[in-house]
Amino acid sequence: MSKAKTQQPAVIHKVIMVGSGGVGKSALTLQFMYEEFVEDYEPTKADSYRKKVVLDGEEVQIDILDTAGQEDYAAIRDNYFRTGEGFLCVFSIKEQESFQATQEFREQILRVKNDENIPFLLVGNMIDLKDQRQVTYEEALKRAQEWRVPYVETSAKTCVNVDKVFYDLMREIRSRKMEAIRQNNGKQKKREKKRKCTIL
Amino acid sequence: MAPKNMPLVTGVSPKEGPPGTRITIRGENLGLDVRDLIGLKICGMDCLLFAEWISPSKIVARTGAGKGKGDVQVFTKSGGKGTCTVGFRGYFLQIGPLQESAMWIDESQTVRANLDHGRPSAAAPLKEEEDPLGISDEGDRAKMTEGELLELFPEASGNMSLENFSPGWYLLENHHNASFEDLKAGLAYMQRKASQRSEGPITVVRSNLTAILDCLDSLTKTYEKFGADDIRGKCMDSYAVLLMQAKSCADGLFQEVLGRKDKADSTRNALSVLTKFRFLFHLPLNMQRNIQKGDYNIVINDFEKAKSLFSDTDVKVFRKVYKEVERRIANFRDMLHKRLLDPNNTLDEQNKLISYLTSLECQGDPAWECLVSQQAHLIELLEDCKDDHLESERTALLADAANTQGTPGSATKRKPASASPGAIFAAKGKSDLSAGGWRDRTPQKVMYIEDLTDIMTENFPDFWKLGQAYFSGEFNRTRDVPEKGFKSDTSKHSKLKQMIAELVGLFANFVRAAFLPESLENAADSEREKFGIWPTVAKSMVAGTWLPHCVRTIRSCVANLAGLDLTGDSMIILQDLAFDLRTNCMFTLLKQAIADVKSLYNKQTWAVETDDESGGTTQLPALFENIVSETVQHLHEVVVLNKPGEPEIFSQRPIQKEATVLCTQLLQAFAQCLEQLAYSPPLHKHPLDVRSSRHSKAAAERESELDDDEDHLPSLDKRLIIMLSDCNHTLHAVIPRIIDNLNKHGYVEMNKAAKAAQNTYKELDHKLFESYIEQKSDPIIGAMEPCMYRGGFSWKTCPSPTGVRSYLKENLMSMIEVHAEVFSISPKFVGRVMGKVTEAVVEEVTRLIHCVDIFGANGALQARLELRAFKETAALYSSKSTDACFDDAFKCIPQLSKEGNKMLEDLLAEFQSRMKFQLMCFRAVGVDTKTNRGVHSSC
Repeated sequence: MSKAKTQQPAVIHKVIMVGSGGVGKSALTLQFMYEEFVEDYEPTKADSYRKKVVLDGEEVQIDILDTAGQEDYAAIRDNYFRTGEGFLCVFSIKEQESFQATQEFREQILRVKNDENIPFLLVGNMIDLKDQRQVTYEEALKRAQEWRVPYVETSAKTCVNVDKVFYDLMREIRSRKMEAIRQNNGKQKKREKKRKCTIL
Repeated sequence: MAPKNMPLVTGVSPKEGPPGTRITIRGENLGLDVRDLIGLKICGMDCLLFAEWISPSKIVARTGAGKGKGDVQVFTKSGGKGTCTVGFRGYFLQIGPLQESAMWIDESQTVRANLDHGRPSAAAPLKEEEDPLGISDEGDRAKMTEGELLELFPEASGNMSLENFSPGWYLLENHHNASFEDLKAGLAYMQRKASQRSEGPITVVRSNLTAILDCLDSLTKTYEKFGADDIRGKCMDSYAVLLMQAKSCADGLFQEVLGRKDKADSTRNALSVLTKFRFLFHLPLNMQRNIQKGDYNIVINDFEKAKSLFSDTDVKVFRKVYKEVERRIANFRDMLHKRLLDPNNTLDEQNKLISYLTSLECQGDPAWECLVSQQAHLIELLEDCKDDHLESERTALLADAANTQGTPGSATKRKPASASPGAIFAAKGKSDLSAGGWRDRTPQKVMYIEDLTDIMTENFPDFWKLGQAYFSGEFNRTRDVPEKGFKSDTSKHSKLKQMIAELVGLFANFVRAAFLPESLENAADSEREKFGIWPTVAKSMVAGTWLPHCVRTIRSCVANLAGLDLTGDSMIILQDLAFDLRTNCMFTLLKQAIADVKSLYNKQTWAVETDDESGGTTQLPALFENIVSETVQHLHEVVVLNKPGEPEIFSQRPIQKEATVLCTQLLQAFAQCLEQLAYSPPLHKHPLDVRSSRHSKAAAERESELDDDEDHLPSLDKRLIIMLSDCNHTLHAVIPRIIDNLNKHGYVEMNKAAKAAQNTYKELDHKLFESYIEQKSDPIIGAMEPCMYRGGFSWKTCPSPTGVRSYLKENLMSMIEVHAEVFSISPKFVGRVMGKVTEAVVEEVTRLIHCVDIFGANGALQARLELRAFKETAALYSSKSTDACFDDAFKCIPQLSKEGNKMLEDLLAEFQSRMKFQLMCFRAVGVDTKTNRGVHSSC
């Protein structure tokens, strides 16, 4: 038992799935976690997944928080977002509203994280249903470029680009962390002190 | 050393919830089959009872009463005790009696607590720690103390469950540091919560769909079970009866309460409907108020709103109120319509009114109607203006006529007034319309034209802009079928053009009728009548000074209107009008100037002013120049300055020609005047100068000065020489200056005019000169012969000469006199005049000598002496012809002997010494005036 615990890699990358309801956040997550595609729809409240993955030869853990897309849970998102290190902002290419909603998600995340460069991927899901497409690749790409984030189109059903988005995001998170360590080597003490104050 | 297939939980869905939450557990090695799963612990509580094994990687279960964050552990036979990478957080949900919950919650504690306190249980639906705004607790480090809050909100409380709850207190207490954005998000959250609560059941069903479906499944199964067991019979019936009894009993118990509740509900509903549609019920009153206040926009907006909401409502009350609203709107529309047709509105007001009417979907075309009425109004204004001014002009004329033929008293009254125009000026300010003052008032026509242009410049642009706006579609009604609207527009476009042309034409014709009546002669009589016939009495002609003013007014008006981008026709009419007026003005002024110049001879003072350059002149050339330059000044603006878009006034050949002719006439007129003065001057000055209105004051003063020494009118010869001098001065100094001036002001072909003028003046000069010479030499020559033979003198028998005889001296004296006269006027002419006179005298002497039959010796000596004396004296003025004459004369006289010659020399020397002073006159012109005068007086 103790052995099993020590086996767990120390590095955890915390990924949060955001996006409107029904765009396939859980589907992407389950596909990534268990290579399983869930046909029937059940709204998520807040699901938590964590597993070991090998990222560029290094064993790390990925922690996925699958959040609720429904507006009903909008207010509790703040708390979730605060723990996230990287975000997959998912919309459905066959639903214009979900694309428009990404703007709000982005704003909320930037507000909570207060960091323009937070690892972030714009994900257009359901490209297996191209014939029902409402959001063009160009306009999505345009928005992604405005935000200066990558844009990837995926299909949870046919398993297109699913691993890619998670791994890409983890790489971003990792490079951000390296950078932060380099930068904060000297400041660490100060920061800790500050944090304590906040808690108080 | 752990078994390879140790269970591992890697996912939970959801990751938190109250006891009884349905949870999906995912992972690896979660049991080979149902029986392999031997244990499930969530937050330390055994949940195996509810666990449902789905697959080795998925288990669905319900959580137990575990509280706080804990592991999810799976135990299998094959893998033993498992581990997990994710956990579950259990919490207790406290729920009020009015809240739906999809799971069974033990309420006994909370409800009992509430009952114990004797408080209605609905009052505390929220947990203490739960934030109604859903804002996280990030910023609440510096809380305000209760004391501070109490100070801020006396008699209030931050407790939501109390009646004196104060939101401000609550926010300061709990979200002291939250940003405005956060608060807004919180508000949205709260609103969502509230709506959820009102939607309640749906939300609950939606969020717990699976649980409810499970329930349904269970019910169906139960039903099937019952059906299969076939125990429907008696047992069920008795149950049913019991249930019915229970129901009626319950109904009886609660009927009263329920009835009251129904009533209260319906009242509440009615009230809420009333508040909800308060807008409609208040609308008629509000409309009235807003109309009175002039907030038409609000009225229209309200109406639009009401229309979209209630226009096809089925509710009776609404329909009734709505009808009332429509009635008021119709009244309002009528009122707006009336106001629109009121011509005194500004453009803005009209625009607004039209847009109001359009948005009120008025029938017809309010903008067009407005345009039509506006045009009619403009025409009316113009016509009124015309009629008014014509009327006052006529009355003024009548009054004038009455005064002139009226009582002698008024006539005498008038005379002094005119004689001293200062009085006229003094009387000008007075409001009485006495005949004397009439002339000096601003002429009626000038006022007329000012009023006309005012009307045009003030109102026309608005009208035009309105038209523009109309066609640019500003008032386009959206409800119109597009192509239909377009069609009507094009037809109206030409109509508007016509209306504008009519308006402009009328304006132009009114002006023409007043100023250029001859240009309207082609019009039909009835038309002519319409434009107003102005009395053509000479007095009613507008004085020249006013014309440029009128032209200026019209031009500025035209320029104003031109700025509007008018369509072609109307602009051409206006430009023609301006052009004709300018031309007319120019011609009138030039003609007037000619008349003025011609009448200048009345102003001759005969006071000669000598100056070194031009010799002696009277004031006349200066006056002449003044008149011309004044005229040119007046015309400068009219003629030379072209506003953009106006044609050059001289660009038209006939006008140019006529202008040149008039200029020439103007220049020549003075010659005529001079000639008249020289030969037939006015015997005595007429006190009433017909054209004195022009430079009335100054000129009249000069005249009155002259009145005193009027009898001093110089003799013909003197007048001749003075005029000669004036003419010369005019020719050499004034004319070039005037021509220069004219050229500078852009008059064309002035060289021709100059040449013509010069010729005229040269001719006049010649004529005057000849007359003068004749005047002067005739008496001298006439006197010579009698004088020569005075005292029975005979060339044959005369005694030995003792000196030059007196006839020659007399002769010389008269010549000196001429010299003096000329010199006093203009030294320049001395040479010219003396030459001619000398020539004439010499010719006469020669003729006399020729006539002598025989000379005695003494006679010859005498003749030679006299001839020599004369020749030497007049040497300065000699010419070839005089020299020839002298030679001729000498030939006729016999030669002298030696003594004779000597004697001649002696006598000549004696003559010259004795007449020294006199002879000096015939020396160089350098002799100064003083000496000359001395000589003159000594004679």
